[in-house]
Amino acid sequence: MKFKFLMILAISGSILMSGCEYDNFEAPEVTLSGKVVYQGRAVPVRNNGPQLELWQDGYPLKSPITVYLNQDGSFAAKLFDGQYKLVRRADAPWLQQASDTIRVEVRGNTNLEVPVTPYFTISGESYQKSGDNIIARLVVNKVVQSANLEFVRLYLGKSILTDQVQREVRVDAPLNSVVLGQQLQISSGALPDNLKSLDYIYARLGIKSTSAGEYYYTQVQKIALK
Amino acid sequence: MKKIYICIALLACLVASGCKHDEWFDRESKSTITDEQLWNDPKLLTSLLANYYNRLPTLHGVFNTGGMTELDDAMWSGHRDQNWRNDYQFGDDYGRYWDYGLIRDVNLSLENLETQSVRLDATQKNLFRAELRFIRAFVYFEMVKRMGGVPLVTKQLIYDFSGDPTPLQVPRAKEYEVYDFIYRELEEIKADLTANNSSKTRANQYTALALESRAMLYAGSIAKYNSLMPNPISTPGGEVGIPATMAADYYNKSLTASKAIISGPYALFNENPDKGANFYDMLNKKTGSEVIFAKDFAPGVKVHRFAYDNIIKSMTEDNESSSTISPSLSFVESFSYLDGTKGTLRDKDASGNYIAYTGIGDIFAGRDARLYGTVIYPGTNFKNNPVRIQAGVAVWNNGSYQLTTSAELGKNYTDGQLWTGFDGPKDDAMDVSNTGFYIRKFVSDASAASTRGTSATNWWPWFRLGEVYLNAAEAAFELGRAEGLGYVNSIRARAGFPANSLTALTTDIIRNERRVELAFEDHRYFDLKRWRIAHIVWDGSESDPNAVVRGLYGYRVVRPGHPDNGKYIYERMRPSRFRRARFFRLANYYSSIAQDVLNNNPKIVRNPFN
Repeated sequence: MKFKFLMILAISGSILMSGCEYDNFEAPEVTLSGKVVYQGRAVPVRNNGPQLELWQDGYPLKSPITVYLNQDGSFAAKLFDGQYKLVRRADAPWLQQASDTIRVEVRGNTNLEVPVTPYFTISGESYQKSGDNIIARLVVNKVVQSANLEFVRLYLGKSILTDQVQREVRVDAPLNSVVLGQQLQISSGALPDNLKSLDYIYARLGIKSTSAGEYYYTQVQKIALK
Repeated sequence: MKKIYICIALLACLVASGCKHDEWFDRESKSTITDEQLWNDPKLLTSLLANYYNRLPTLHGVFNTGGMTELDDAMWSGHRDQNWRNDYQFGDDYGRYWDYGLIRDVNLSLENLETQSVRLDATQKNLFRAELRFIRAFVYFEMVKRMGGVPLVTKQLIYDFSGDPTPLQVPRAKEYEVYDFIYRELEEIKADLTANNSSKTRANQYTALALESRAMLYAGSIAKYNSLMPNPISTPGGEVGIPATMAADYYNKSLTASKAIISGPYALFNENPDKGANFYDMLNKKTGSEVIFAKDFAPGVKVHRFAYDNIIKSMTEDNESSSTISPSLSFVESFSYLDGTKGTLRDKDASGNYIAYTGIGDIFAGRDARLYGTVIYPGTNFKNNPVRIQAGVAVWNNGSYQLTTSAELGKNYTDGQLWTGFDGPKDDAMDVSNTGFYIRKFVSDASAASTRGTSATNWWPWFRLGEVYLNAAEAAFELGRAEGLGYVNSIRARAGFPANSLTALTTDIIRNERRVELAFEDHRYFDLKRWRIAHIVWDGSESDPNAVVRGLYGYRVVRPGHPDNGKYIYERMRPSRFRRARFFRLANYYSSIAQDVLNNNPKIVRNPFN
């Protein structure tokens, strides 16, 4: 009797144990990280905005792994080792490539720079506080020759997440004053009361082409008010 | 041994007797309806159609309380578990609709009607066929306006087990091909539908024309306004995007259909001399001849809970829910003054001081009567009872007003008069308006309509004459014809404006008329999409008054000795439950196609941006 009982215990135990192996998957451990770049410089984007997608062949059904971009243009995804295809999604401030797949070999932690072609870029940006005013200086560069300019904007905000969606102040540069490749100045005007009293605020510049739904931004910069 | 013989004999008897009574076993099932019965019985066919009519798709319509709070016209003030409606962003799949189950059901029915209906006469058969095709056209319209060109499947797709599924893989049609298909179908069936002309709940000739009027207007405006975008949204294969050259033809088709309805047996609802109440009655009562096609409800049979969801706080008849839809300030301000001036409320004077009004509703005086018919605002009635909307009191203190609200609704202030009304508004509260406004349109005033036991039975208008007037006006305006003005002026005259209140039309006037006339009727999302301005109006900016739902709170002035004492002032505010500005991206113009659809059919092209 005792023998039989032990047998049943052993058999059921082994079934349960082996079941565990089928049920449980290892969590992905490898990190694919990197940033979207243009001419070696990271391309900052809107927070919770443009995305990348990873796909993997070899399975009967396909579903994308969405890779979210930080606002400084960096990204990171936890993956398994393997071959992936990386796609730059079109709802972004950069040109949609006809064939935009990048093959990525992930073996251990991998770093990747994803090249993109923004319609416009901003360079040489600087901010200066003068009285109650923030003055931004910048140079607008056209990258895609067929693109048209829609907005050049200065954003001021309370938090480090400052962009077209989250901001306290937005000032448009008059488009007829924009000369490509030459320095441009945008003045914020007097700061509103809710910003004036702060120790510091954040500033950012954005530029939008009529061809895109998203803005190309500069990196967020902290400006001390006191 | 003897026993065995007896057994054999008995067995033989049993078997033999069983054989004779074959028909006894072969009885008609009482629980299954055979194809032969179904396709030859007009009553059964009508109930089959009732099933299909009930499945007609909608995005924010048919009393979809939640959907109505996802745009700029209103926010969600109901239970907190759905506060995501105030804190979300249109996903790439927003509005996705891909219902080939329903298409297949209709196609199957059409085929069975041909092969199995032998005892129906030709007129019956034609009518059923036409109704089925109407439903199919309606479903395709719902798909094309959300997804762009979709596969046009008009027959059952049956797998032949050959190992080759390619015959089942239908590619997407071009966007204009779907609109052309809808037009062709409706033109072909409208004559057969005349038999239904006395019905408002089954498709008739004018229902087909109304769908034609709407669908062709959509096609025309997509053709025109998509091409006017700096970078038109399109795919190389034309699955998305209609060539600009086709716009005039579509507008013409829409105008022709609209005019055929306007010259038909319908009339703008005008039964109540009170223009505001008249606008409310138009959809709440089932009389008159404004509504062309409706989804009907009946007590005890088919009911809905729109009144339960949205009854004004102080008049609830049930517990747990009320006041879910809170219309926005920008929506209220889109109703202009009867003298023609823009509807911006005059809450402060040029130097920024509050303007005090004697009555709490006085700030809304002299407005488009449709405001009364659509929104419950301070100082009005519902169910013949005055509403009690007052946010709090404004106490004069050291040179400025201090705005205070009571913790409990309906409490009196220290001066013995009302502090915060029983209808709020109250910021950050549940089941009471957060914006200062309630919805009146579609909220039934029938007794016990807002209880869950009885529920409401007012109907849902799929098509009504008011929309057809505005369709006609827009199409005529786009074609550069002057007749559009008359249509808009008749709509406005019904809303209390003097006759011929406008002397010229602009796109902005037409667009605003559609917003106020057709509010909460499942038009706004699609209207903004087809005009290609959704990404401008709902630009996601937290400081944009259009993208953000705001409220207007009225306060009673406590300032003894001053002439303003006891009067009312108003404060614009942003409800704290409203968390994120409406943000419509270019990717939202066409919803993304589900990954399993793409997996199953490699011929399906993705939509732009997603």
